[in-house]
Amino acid sequence: MHHHDAVDLGLLFDLSPLPSLILSPSWRITRASARFLDEWHLSAEACVGQELLPFVQHQLSPSPVHLKFLTTAIDDAIAARAERTSRSMNTKRSVSWKARVIPVFKGDELLAVVTEWHEGPLSELNLIKDEEVRPGLSTDEAFRILVQAVKDYAIFLLDTTGHIATWNTGAELLKGYRRDEIVGKHFSVFYGKEDLDIKKPEMELEICMRDGRVEDEGWRYRKDGSRFWANVVITAVYKDGVHVGFGKVTRDLTERKSAESRLIAAYEESEKLKSDFLANMSHEIRTPMHGMLSACALLLDTTLSPRQRDIVGIMDESGQVLLQVINDILDYSKLASGSFSIHSDIVGITSIVTSVVRSVQTTLPPSVHFELFLAPDLPKSVQGDPLRYRQILHNIVGNAAKFTEKGSIRVRAGVQREDHDSYIVMTEVTDTGIGIPEAAAAGLFTPFTQFDATTTKQYKGTGLGLSIAKSLTELMGGSIGYRPNPDRHGSIFWFTARFKKIKSLEQIHDWKSKLIRKGDAMLAVPEADVISLRQELAEVAPIKSLLLVEDNVINQKVMLGLLRSLGFKNTALASNGSEAVNMVRNKPAAYDIVLMDINMPIMDGHQASRAIRDAGIRVPIVAMTAYALKGDRERCLEHGMNDYIPKPVDKKYLIKVLGKWLLHMKDYRKAFDEQMSKLRGYEALTLGPKGRVADRLEHLSLTIRGDERDASTGITPNASDKTAEETESLQPHGTQSSDDTINAVQPAARTEHEHTSSVVSSPRFEPLLPPVHIELLDSSAGVDLPVAEIIAITPAHNSQTSVKAADSGGDTGTSASGTTATTPLDPPFDSEKDTAEIPHEDVSTLPS
Amino acid sequence: MLKTDEDSDDERFFANMPDFGDHVDNAIFSQILEMDESDQERDFSEPLVTNFFEQADDTFKNMDRALAARDLNELSTLGHFLKGSSATLGFNKIRDSCQVVQQYGHKLTVEGVSEPDENVCLKKIAEALQTAKIDTAELEERMKKFFAGAE
Repeated sequence: MHHHDAVDLGLLFDLSPLPSLILSPSWRITRASARFLDEWHLSAEACVGQELLPFVQHQLSPSPVHLKFLTTAIDDAIAARAERTSRSMNTKRSVSWKARVIPVFKGDELLAVVTEWHEGPLSELNLIKDEEVRPGLSTDEAFRILVQAVKDYAIFLLDTTGHIATWNTGAELLKGYRRDEIVGKHFSVFYGKEDLDIKKPEMELEICMRDGRVEDEGWRYRKDGSRFWANVVITAVYKDGVHVGFGKVTRDLTERKSAESRLIAAYEESEKLKSDFLANMSHEIRTPMHGMLSACALLLDTTLSPRQRDIVGIMDESGQVLLQVINDILDYSKLASGSFSIHSDIVGITSIVTSVVRSVQTTLPPSVHFELFLAPDLPKSVQGDPLRYRQILHNIVGNAAKFTEKGSIRVRAGVQREDHDSYIVMTEVTDTGIGIPEAAAAGLFTPFTQFDATTTKQYKGTGLGLSIAKSLTELMGGSIGYRPNPDRHGSIFWFTARFKKIKSLEQIHDWKSKLIRKGDAMLAVPEADVISLRQELAEVAPIKSLLLVEDNVINQKVMLGLLRSLGFKNTALASNGSEAVNMVRNKPAAYDIVLMDINMPIMDGHQASRAIRDAGIRVPIVAMTAYALKGDRERCLEHGMNDYIPKPVDKKYLIKVLGKWLLHMKDYRKAFDEQMSKLRGYEALTLGPKGRVADRLEHLSLTIRGDERDASTGITPNASDKTAEETESLQPHGTQSSDDTINAVQPAARTEHEHTSSVVSSPRFEPLLPPVHIELLDSSAGVDLPVAEIIAITPAHNSQTSVKAADSGGDTGTSASGTTATTPLDPPFDSEKDTAEIPHEDVSTLPS
Repeated sequence: MLKTDEDSDDERFFANMPDFGDHVDNAIFSQILEMDESDQERDFSEPLVTNFFEQADDTFKNMDRALAARDLNELSTLGHFLKGSSATLGFNKIRDSCQVVQQYGHKLTVEGVSEPDENVCLKKIAEALQTAKIDTAELEERMKKFFAGAE
C-alpha cells in the first residue's frame, strides 16, 4: 500500500497539470513535471541536475532585480516553512513568470522545494495574486481580504502606467465593472470627455509621482455610462524602494454633492426672496411716507397759527429725516446683498452737479455760500448711471451742508483721466465745517458709524450715507476718500467714477427702446391721481394762457383739441420758433407755459428756447418731441427748457406735466421779480465797489443752464440792462474752446475774480456759480438766500422737492423752501430795511 | 375701483372703434375721437382726418418732386413732417414709412447705421413712399367708411 502510494505520487507529480520543478535543498533541479517541460519547451535532460538560478537566468533572462524576486520567495518560504509566491519576473518574451514556492520539511530537515511556475502578462506589480493562488494566513492575506470585502469604497491598484491590476467589491459595486472586465484596462475609462481632453488622468499620475499623493473631486463614469460625483485619492505605492504602481481609493459623493446643491439653491432662493422683499418694502414704506410728506407740505401752505405751523414743521422735518433713514437702510441692505445694480444711461454731469448744488443750497443758512467749479474739459454727456452719481454727490454735498455753519462749500468736478473709451470723473467737495477728528477719519466709510457719538444727537442720520456712497463709487469703478481741508478747518471729500464715452448711434437706439418702455411705466400713474389733477387743472385752466409752438397743422389741431378738453381756452399759436420768440418777447409776462415742438422750420425749438431765455424770460417751456431719448431730454433742459413731453402726446402725460408747472411750481413772474426786487432794494442801500449783484445775478440766471451761446442764434441779452463793465465782459473771449457751460459763464466769473478773495484761481477750474457776496445780506434774515432762490426757480427737474406754491393768486409771503426749518418761522424784516420792501409790495400786484 | 369718467370714455370709444388693423394705434386715435362733442357728429375728428389726408397727399407730391431732384435733405424734412402728424393721429403704418424716408434722407438706415450710397437711399425712399401711398389710400377708404357710419 505504502509502496504503491509512493509510485503513484511520483507519477502524479509528473502528470499533474501544474508546471512544476522539485529542487534539492541546494536548489538544484531534481525533477520537472511534464507540463513544465512542455511549457518551457525543454527536455528533462536540459533541466534536471541544473542549478536553479543559472537555469532560470539562462531560460528567462530576467533582470538581476527580478531574479532576486525568486530567491527572495524561496528564502522566505524556507525561513517561514510556508508557501510563498515570488513576484513576476519579466522575460524578454513579453511574458512574466512567477513561482509558487513550497518548501517540504521532515522535522527540521529541508527535504525539497517544490516550485510551481505560472506565466502571466508583463508586470512589475506583484503584490496580490489571483484568487486561485491562495497563500496561507499572512498579513498580506488579511489585508487582501479586508480590501476585497470593503463595499463602500472602490479600492484598487494600478500598475506604473495606470492599468488596473486589482479590483475589489466596492469597485465593482461603484463602477459596475466585473473584475475580469476591467483588470488590465487603463484607469482613464472612468473619466469623462472633458477630463480626458485636459489629460487629467495623466496629470494626476504625474502629480502623484511628484507629491506621493493626489486628491481630486469630480464626475466619474460607470460602465453603464451614468456618472457619479467622486472623491478620488491616488497614492504612489512603493515596495522595497521601488515604485510598483498606484493605490486608488474612490468614494461616491453624489449624495453629498446633491445636498450641497440643494443648499446652494436654498440659499439663492432666500437671497431672491430677500431682495424681492426689499424691493416690495421699499415701495410699501416709501409710498405712505411720500404721502405723508406731501400732506405736510400742503398743510404748511394753509393758514396756520404760529404754534400749529411749528408743529407741522416738526412733522415735516422728522418725516424727511425718517425718509432719508429708510432710503439709506434699504440702499444699504441692497448693496450688502449685492442686488444693487448700476444702470446705463446718458449722464449730463454738469446738470447733475448744478442741480445737486441748487437743491442743497436751499437748506443752507445765509452764512454759507457755495462755489461751483466745473472743468472746461468735462464732457457734455457720458454713459453711466445718473441717479447713482447724483446720489453719491448729494450725500457728500448734503454732509458738507449739514456740518458747515459758516464759510463756504466748494464743489469741483473735472476729468481726472481719460482713455480710449472712458473718462474717470473726479468730483471734490470742500467745506469749512466742523471737520473730522483724526481718530475718526479711518472709520468714516464703515457702515453704521458716525464719527462722533456726541454729534449723533445734533446731526441726524443712520451713519450709512458714506458707506453707501463708498459702495456706489466702487460699483461705478471709482473710489472715494477724505482728507482734512488744509486751508481752514473743515473737510475735503472726493470721489471718482468711471463713465463710458458715448460712441455710436446704435447705443442711443438701445437707450431709445429702453426709454420707451420706461416712458410707458412713467405713464402708469394711478388713475385717481390723474383725475384729481385734471380736476385741479380744470379749475385754473380758464385763467391760464398758453403758447403752443408747432409747425404741423394736424398736430396743432390735436394739441388745441387736447388742451380745450382740459379746459384751456387761451392758447396762442406759433408755427415756428422765431414766431414764438417774437410773441414771447413782445409780451414777456403773457404766457403761463410754452409748449414747444423741437423740429421746426426757420427756427427750431432749441434755438427758440435759448432766445427766450436770453431775453430774460423765465416762462416754463415744455419740449414736445418724438424722440423719447433721455439724451434729448437733457439737451432740452440744457437749452433752457424745463420739461419734456414725448410725442405723440398722451393726454395723461400732458395732464401730469401741466399740473406740475401750472399747479405745483411757483409762478415764474412772481418768483423771480420778487427776488430781484428785493435784491435791488438792498443794493440801493448798500451799493458799493462790488457792483450790482442783481444785475450779475440776472445775467447768471440766464446762463446757469449752460446754454450754448452760439453765434448763429444772433440774440444777445438786452445790453441796456447791463453795467458797462458787464457789457464789455460779454464780448466773446477770442476763439476759445466752444465748451458751452464755461464760456457762457466766464464773463460773470471774470468780474468775480477781481472782487472775491474766496475764489480759487485754477487754470483748470473756472467757477460756474460765482460766490456772490452774500455777506452783504447776512443781516437780513428775511431774505433767504437769494442766489439759491433764484436758481431754484429757473430750472426744471428738482420738481419733486418743490413745494406747492401758495396758490397762483396772491400769497406773497410764503417761502418756496418750505422744507427748511427756518423759513416758515422767519422773523419779520428789520425795520431799518423796510424801505427795501417797497418793490416787493409792487410785485404782489403783478398779474399772474 | 371707482368707475370714472375716463374709464367709461375709453370703453365707449374703444367699443365704437372699427378695426383699422395695424394701420392705426387705437389708444392714440381714440384720444382724438374723444375730443368730439358727440359720437354722431364727429366735428373735431372728421375734418382733422380729412385734413391729414390732404396734407399727406401734398406731402407725397412734394416727396415725388424731391425724389426726382434727388434732394435727400428735403426728403428727410418731409418725412419728418408727415411722421409727426401721422404719429399724432396714431396712423402707425404711414408713420413707419415716413420714418424710413426721414432716415434715408439723412443717409442712415432705419437702425441708424450710415448708408453712404445715395442711390441706395433714394431707392429705399422710393419704396417707402410707394408703401406709404398704398397704406394711405387704404386707410383713407376705411376712415371714410367709419365716418360715414358715424353720421
